[in-house]
Amino acid sequence: MRVDAYDKVTGKALYGADRVLPGMAFAALALAKIGRGRVSGVDTSAALAVPGVLLVETKFDLASPGFLMGGGFGFQSLQPMTDDHIAYRGQPIAIVVAETPVAATEAAEAITAEYEEEPFALHLDSEGATTLVQEEAIPLPFLADIKVGDADAVIDSCAVRIEETFEHPPQHAVPMELNGGVVWWQDDRLIVHEGTQNANAVRFGLAQQLGIDAELIEVHSPYVGGGFGQKNSLLVHIGPLAVVSRRLGRPVKLVLARTQTFHNGSFRPATKHRIRLGADATGRILAAVHEVDQQTSRHDLFIAGHTEVTSRLYGFSAFRGRQRLVQTDVQTPGYMRAPFESPSMFAFEQAVDELAHTVGRDPVQLRLDNDTETDPVTGLPFSSRHVGDCLRRGAELFGWSGRNPEPGSMRAEDGSLVGWGVAIGNYPGSIVAANATLTASADGRVTVAVDGHEMGQGIRSTVALLVARDLGIPVADVTVQVGDTTVGTQHLTAGSWGTATALPAVHSGLQELRKHLNVADTGDVDVASAVADAGHAVQVSVGSLGPGQTADALAQTNTGHLAISGPVFPGFVTFSWIAHFVEVHVEPTTCRIRVPRVVSVADCGRVASPVTAASQVRGGVIWGIGAALREESMVDDRVGGFLNTTLEEYPVMVNADVHRIDVDFIDKPDYQFNPVGVKGLGEVSMVGAAAAVANAVHHATGRRHHRLPIRIEHVL
Amino acid sequence: MSTNDVPATTVDVTCTVNGEPVQLRLDPRESLLDVLRERLALTGTKKGCDQGHCGACTVHLDGRRVVSCLTPAVQVDGLQVHTIESVTGPDGELHPLQQAFVDNDALQCGYCTPGQIMSGLACIAEGHTADDDEIREYLSGNVCRCGAYVGIVAAVRQAAQR
Repeated sequence: MRVDAYDKVTGKALYGADRVLPGMAFAALALAKIGRGRVSGVDTSAALAVPGVLLVETKFDLASPGFLMGGGFGFQSLQPMTDDHIAYRGQPIAIVVAETPVAATEAAEAITAEYEEEPFALHLDSEGATTLVQEEAIPLPFLADIKVGDADAVIDSCAVRIEETFEHPPQHAVPMELNGGVVWWQDDRLIVHEGTQNANAVRFGLAQQLGIDAELIEVHSPYVGGGFGQKNSLLVHIGPLAVVSRRLGRPVKLVLARTQTFHNGSFRPATKHRIRLGADATGRILAAVHEVDQQTSRHDLFIAGHTEVTSRLYGFSAFRGRQRLVQTDVQTPGYMRAPFESPSMFAFEQAVDELAHTVGRDPVQLRLDNDTETDPVTGLPFSSRHVGDCLRRGAELFGWSGRNPEPGSMRAEDGSLVGWGVAIGNYPGSIVAANATLTASADGRVTVAVDGHEMGQGIRSTVALLVARDLGIPVADVTVQVGDTTVGTQHLTAGSWGTATALPAVHSGLQELRKHLNVADTGDVDVASAVADAGHAVQVSVGSLGPGQTADALAQTNTGHLAISGPVFPGFVTFSWIAHFVEVHVEPTTCRIRVPRVVSVADCGRVASPVTAASQVRGGVIWGIGAALREESMVDDRVGGFLNTTLEEYPVMVNADVHRIDVDFIDKPDYQFNPVGVKGLGEVSMVGAAAAVANAVHHATGRRHHRLPIRIEHVL
Repeated sequence: MSTNDVPATTVDVTCTVNGEPVQLRLDPRESLLDVLRERLALTGTKKGCDQGHCGACTVHLDGRRVVSCLTPAVQVDGLQVHTIESVTGPDGELHPLQQAFVDNDALQCGYCTPGQIMSGLACIAEGHTADDDEIREYLSGNVCRCGAYVGIVAAVRQAAQR
């Protein structure tokens, strides 16, 4: 069950831009039309003449919010409209505020500018793109290239070698909710309603940008209309919006146009993956090399985390990773669902499939033969790793034993080529420092405020279920508050750590609440009578840490910074695991690729909320199919920036693209990771899905595809 | 800087919205979506693209489904507009299709859900529910980025069978 489903099916759930306030004005942005350079003059006269226009502003006295991954709060360090530098096409050059949305839009479109253009680079191999070795550019221990043994030497000596290069295009998350929100001031207090996965960063980032105390800022994001990483930090429109709202003394709403969201938020950067595998004649993988080039911006180094997952995939005796960053003229890219893991697995798991094909082994059996209980990188045990069970159960549910291994050998009734493909995936287990406040009221209800944001994964439901089960009270008697800085810290919710963070924090809060209610440590509780005995509502607050974290981590989140632990913990290593089985049909005349069925089996520890968990996996699989067959952000080599910036030209999966997706879980708790036994699910659900589609296309057609998406023209 | 005058060209429109008579003086460029959301505060109808690509803004115009972002508000003169707010009963009870969305977990973030339900109601009324493939086809104008499609089809099938 999903506790906020009622609000969502009735239209009552309030998203960032759903506030309609008395006296509210409407803003719109004007964007730079060159790929890189300087803006030498912005002509706002036509905009100012538009009836209903209140204000046009082109320059702001705003500090940089700092880059999220550099200790700051912004999706990028660059705050537009603070100088004349244009770093990428689509960078805002002016903001308009008007009485109506129509007037604001008309005025924004009437703004023109003079530019001094400079050459720009948009591709990994563009002239002028600058390539940096990550471990040299950012000499931090956790970013050092992973090296175990002498992988190259081992591969060179192997009987079977696979060497393949794969390219993954940039992609955009395009959550259905457009970026935007409503801001206003009550005296010196700034109130922000904005769909965000990181209300902390919006609050503390604005404090830094405006030079005011964070105590004077409140951020409300009770519902996020999809985030997928694109709303994980302070975006560039909010600081200017706060300034113009203060100047006008009115609430101001800004909703970015869909086309504008392609340049005013992060995206999944382009990557190129070189994979080398060395194996014996039975397909036992002895060593692997994974070299990655990943796009970043000129102004920020978006760190690459690709080899963190591939180095753990199988029981390698030697592994070498190398990650490089390629600076291009774009906004800073960032975390889009399974940001590194999905592209990495697309590459690595196709290479493994190629190995199985080369040595004539069944691809499921080859993967099982290469399983390991020990992390090849640290030598530590995995706290749980049931990917073998995922493969075995998935193969059974799918009917894998009926597969003819010969590519191009299977046909559907309509003559379509049929392909069956498999791939596995993993995703690092993380827990962040969190605060939880639980309040038991005289009416027997319990209110829980905890770090987290509801963006569709169902965090309210998993928390409410935990509390209801623990205390033996109806789920309806539990209220869960998330995404609201007035009730507590709101650390970034991302990286699949939401459940594994919120549940242990609430679990710890429940133990404390029982003490203060003077009831037993376990068993059902009559909350109303316990509160009556206490004589007043009972409130407890707890701080909770990941394994091995110190109280410093809570201080980090209390000041709006990231406080992430994992996947390597004292004495163990944690990852979530999944196996995907995909059937594709390649239609005989059109060569259109369809995906009639998928079976996915996940190891996410204990399944905290079966209904929302299954939905999460289906969503991840659909993202994987979309990555394999549809999604590509193309760049505009003539004028810079991205080219296909609408939902028509950036096609995502629609209903008719989706057929049967069967989901199952191993459902074995991981109590070493946390006392509730849950691991992350939302991201691992996508990892390997695109690879399984590509492997199925290979099985159907005999053709290996080295870049995504796989379109009709690639299989003709 | 000063406030400029309001636009010279306006059009008076009379219609009903969720059964209530409404009189509006409109800038002819205003979309029905913006009028519903910003003038009438009916924010259950969502803006996902403002270009007719995503279906999040789907409402009913005299019983027909339209994307309200591409519908000039002046066009609704004399017509009946129904939004998600009209689907729920007077005491907050769910319509069978809304209940079916809950039963089949046909939503995640919920942002596209009002549009999906308005399209689903039309899909059923149009009789396009012969099988799952037909439901999929007639709901493919409504994008769900979370990927709740399997549940959405199940929900429409369940409600259509009632």
